[in-house]
Amino acid sequence: MTRLVLFLLALLSFGVAHAAPPVIEIEIKDHLFYPDVVVIPADTKVKLLIRNLDPTPEEFESYELNREKVITGNSQTVIFIGPLPAGEYPFFGEFYPKTAQGKVVIE
Amino acid sequence: MLLNAVILILQETLEAALLISVLCAICCMQKQKFTALGVGLMAGFVCAFIYAFNLQTVSEWFDYVGQEVVNALLQSVITILIAVFFWDMLRRQNSSEQAVAGGRPLSMPGFMLAAAAIIMLAVTREGSEIVLYVGGLIQQTEHLQAVWMGTSLGLGIGISIGVLLYYGLLGLPRRWGRWVSIFLLALIAGNMWSQAVMLLTQADWIPSTQPLWDSSAWLPEQDLMGQLLYALVGYESTPSPWQVLAYLAGFVLVAAVVILAWPSQDPGGAGSGVGSGARA
Repeated sequence: MTRLVLFLLALLSFGVAHAAPPVIEIEIKDHLFYPDVVVIPADTKVKLLIRNLDPTPEEFESYELNREKVITGNSQTVIFIGPLPAGEYPFFGEFYPKTAQGKVVIE
Repeated sequence: MLLNAVILILQETLEAALLISVLCAICCMQKQKFTALGVGLMAGFVCAFIYAFNLQTVSEWFDYVGQEVVNALLQSVITILIAVFFWDMLRRQNSSEQAVAGGRPLSMPGFMLAAAAIIMLAVTREGSEIVLYVGGLIQQTEHLQAVWMGTSLGLGIGISIGVLLYYGLLGLPRRWGRWVSIFLLALIAGNMWSQAVMLLTQADWIPSTQPLWDSSAWLPEQDLMGQLLYALVGYESTPSPWQVLAYLAGFVLVAAVVILAWPSQDPGGAGSGVGSGARA
């Protein structure tokens, strides 16, 4: 019985360890991020699903998050971030930085 | 729009321009023609267009992290090719001394092919972003003039800095020029592996960790100096321990190859090697 419990616990912990990270969706439209503020719990890995609804490509860039990725027009992509300590991590669209601005807030 | 175009094109151009400059300087020191490098550059332009036009498909590979995986592969191969470049060049230095003694002519060196391949891969990677950026902007006709002007200025400044570095390296005393060139290429090799690790972390193929240090307060990456250092030696203000480790590994790989392949008959280490041609 003890072995069975241990086995189930091990199975559970394996499942937890390999659980898919939460997905947060961000859209790019008219060279703006929607939402432009993304709130994420501290010390949590997150999968950003970014949909570029513009016909033109954009590059998601963040010096603070150490991330950069080109997203072609009318397409979607995935960027993993975290786990990170609490704080604010700005990001921007490198191709249209005047308008495409946002930040990740870790709480 | 104009300023943004200049900055973006300059950022993308600079990294490839500096790598090409150092390679050209070393090849000039070796009294090699630049034909192979020119072919590598042209092939890079073609591949940049092909890669840019297929980026959407590539991005969808491996559950939407194909772009990271392919770019990491390109960067990793550049590091290995830099090691191959030095290995073949320095080993050939050994055999050329024997060949000269035996009066045998030398064929097209393999290290020039490695240099051409390095340039091709670097231009493919950086050029594809320029193609996508400019391609996107020219869809909006109101920006057309600013785009072309910004692109020309960005390319012009980037290439000029590369040319300055090239002549700067050749202008140094022979021994210095040789060592600085080797050192810079070893740093670039480290940077390529470090960037590959960053990309694989972004793809969640390598676990994310806390940065080893944070120097963003006194040298932000987005500043001019930070950008220049990023392009030249891969400066990161918040690198992960894996990135630092990969950087060191790439640097040590090239340094080890240079030390191991260094011509054994080199009198005092000054008479031949990378700088043998610079006496001319």
